Amino acid sequence: MAGGQGTGRSFSFKVVLLGEGCVGKTSVVLRYCENKFNERHITTLQASFLTKKLNIGGKRVNLAIWDTAGQERFHALGPIYYRDSNGAILVYDITDEDSFQKVKNWVKELRKMLGNEICLCIVGNKTDLEADRHVSVQEAEEYAESVGAQHFHTSAKLDRGIEEVFLDLCKRMLEVAQVESSRADGTSRHGTARRGVQIVDDEPQGQGGSGGCCS
Amino acid sequence: MAAKPVRKGIHVDHSELLCKKGCGYYGNPAWHGYCSKCWREEYSKARHRQIKEDRELAERLQKEEEAAYASSSSSSTTTTSRPIAFSKFEEKKTQEKARKVNTVKKFFTTSKTPSKRSMLLCCPNNFTMVRQHSVESSQAAGEFQEFLKLLRKPAAQDILKRCRACIEGIAVFILLPMFSFQPFNNFAFAGSLPEQVEKTMDNVEKYIMTRLYKHVFCPESTEDEKKDLAIQKRIRALHWVTPQMLGVPINESSPQVIDMVEKAITDIIEMDSKRVPQDKLACITRCSKHIFNALRVSQNEPASADDFLPTLIHVVIRANPPRLQSNLQYITRFCHPNRLMTGEAGYYFTNLCCAVAFIEKLDAQSLSLTEEEFDRYMSGNASPRRPTQEPSSLVDELSACPVLAPLHTNLLDLQELEKQQCQLESNAADLDRALVAWDGSVAQEVANVARKLPPKVQASISSFPLLLAEVAASPSGPLDSEVEDSITLPPPLLPQPAGS
Ligand SMILES: Nc1nc2c(ncn2[C@@H]2O[C@H](COP(=O)(O)OP(=O)(O)OP(=O)(O)O)[C@@H](O)[C@H]2O)c(=O)[nH]1
Ligand SMILES: [Mg+2]
Ligand SMILES: [Zn+2]
Repeated sequence: MAGGQGTGRSFSFKVVLLGEGCVGKTSVVLRYCENKFNERHITTLQASFLTKKLNIGGKRVNLAIWDTAGQERFHALGPIYYRDSNGAILVYDITDEDSFQKVKNWVKELRKMLGNEICLCIVGNKTDLEADRHVSVQEAEEYAESVGAQHFHTSAKLDRGIEEVFLDLCKRMLEVAQVESSRADGTSRHGTARRGVQIVDDEPQGQGGSGGCCS
Repeated sequence: MAAKPVRKGIHVDHSELLCKKGCGYYGNPAWHGYCSKCWREEYSKARHRQIKEDRELAERLQKEEEAAYASSSSSSTTTTSRPIAFSKFEEKKTQEKARKVNTVKKFFTTSKTPSKRSMLLCCPNNFTMVRQHSVESSQAAGEFQEFLKLLRKPAAQDILKRCRACIEGIAVFILLPMFSFQPFNNFAFAGSLPEQVEKTMDNVEKYIMTRLYKHVFCPESTEDEKKDLAIQKRIRALHWVTPQMLGVPINESSPQVIDMVEKAITDIIEMDSKRVPQDKLACITRCSKHIFNALRVSQNEPASADDFLPTLIHVVIRANPPRLQSNLQYITRFCHPNRLMTGEAGYYFTNLCCAVAFIEKLDAQSLSLTEEEFDRYMSGNASPRRPTQEPSSLVDELSACPVLAPLHTNLLDLQELEKQQCQLESNAADLDRALVAWDGSVAQEVANVARKLPPKVQASISSFPLLLAEVAASPSGPLDSEVEDSITLPPPLLPQPAGS
């Protein structure tokens, strides 16, 4: 193979943020991307679309984090938001049992739509309010395992556990992407082409001028 | 798309979102509800059918053409017969509708065995005559060539060659859901930086899509136009929806916010005037930025999706952008997929799709209204701006709805104009009356003077009052009669000896 080193690759991933209102989705992401919590965010115009660049084991990763409208009346629009996403972060508030039930609904929906190609993270936020916990740690972790998701505890307020969520998610998305790209021959795996695994590669993939518009 | 009244909230049934073929994967409206794989299968079937039909039509046309060719060459030399055949073709082309033009063009690119006639038409000069009449097209071609000069020679040539092939090829596969640039990736760019590749892609897209726009935007073979009209009608019917119902967190009394919302509206309307997918996306992005600015002025925290989406819905309802569905479909079909999937513009675009889906399915519950209220507003029998109580004062109403204000001033202006017009008319009538009166008084005076003259002179000028009466009675009135009367006037009185 001609061209650059193995470091020439960069990956772009789309991650949707799901969770009931007020569980702290926005807080978690702002904490992660800008390390801010509940201050006057003078420089932050919006927290609905944020990006973060990472470098994992020499691989460049561009993370695009999509906030979704969580109000009940927008619930049905979910599928439009999470189409083609590589990962989802499902946030609940550990003091709010109801928000955990909502997470379960979303997991069901995501698995149905996107199958196992989407990496899921379930996040119990507001651990600083441990005294007021209404969701059992054991139940949450068991549930996560049963649906093939990772479970994390965070506090956006105290900046606990947030880096770990995104790092773990990225690693898993990378694995999926690499499996997919290694399988990507002419008859590529279902959906590979339109999912967000953008692999800008300086090495020819040996695919030739397949398909496309000129055939 | 009519929302069933029994439905609560906006429900997109999951079954509706899965591939129509039931393979279990997720379908996409752009692929007519199939997943990408099943769509490709379905599509290639349809495509072969289409190609066959096109070929048949083209063969028919060709027979006609050859007949024309034969008759023209019998009357002229072979050298002149070529242009004649072509001009005949041109004539026929303009007579037939655009669809056929496309079909004819398709034939040239699909035909494996180029016929005499297709060779004739593909000869460069004629071909440019047929296609290159749009300013945008030639401009795009020029810009693209400029760009290619910056690249390495062999790569540039390869790209240009492929683009040309693409343009001709795509005229055939109008519905190709997304044309993949994958071949470029591998072929021309060994060792290039990702940014370079990206930039080239942008330019390629610009060139190809500007050239193809007319053929692939809202193509007749799709339902796009019908959907455009449907959503336009739907939005018009929803004019009564207030920002409060949508939960839009903007402060509408701030002129700054109003200004930004207006800008957002302008941007989203402008989308339709752009040709290149990325330019259309840029309009959506600008619109979104203006919305975020409006949100920032209105509240102190960074806007989340729950602030943004309702405001975008509000803007879309206010703007009722032209050919909305066609534009969304076009972007979905032809925008660089990565841009739509992970880019910021893709996020805004997705929100716009959500806004449209919401508007289509919107019902009483999604606005927190009762069914009765919703029905009354929809039927136009009531307006949320003026609740069922006393009609509020005009001033209240004006402040409640910024759109009414210019309407109101226009109305006042019109009233003022009408008053002035009435005044003018009555003045004209006065003038008319004064003239008639003056006319009479002159006649009277002449009569008076005449009476004082000696009897003989009186007799000789007795024709004067008659003359005056004649002038007054002429149909065009006393003012305008001058010209006509200079013709019909009796010869001037000559001095005559008294008593003769
Ligand atoms: N104590 C505590 N409060 C938190 C934490 N994270 C968020 N909050 C608070 O929870 C409230 C809601 O946070 P947001 O980040 O706006 O929640 P959201 O999920 O984005 O809500 P929506 O945008 O309405 O869906 C805010 O008052 C935050 O200050 C946390 O870790 N601990
Ligand atoms: Mg939020
Ligand atoms: Zn399918």
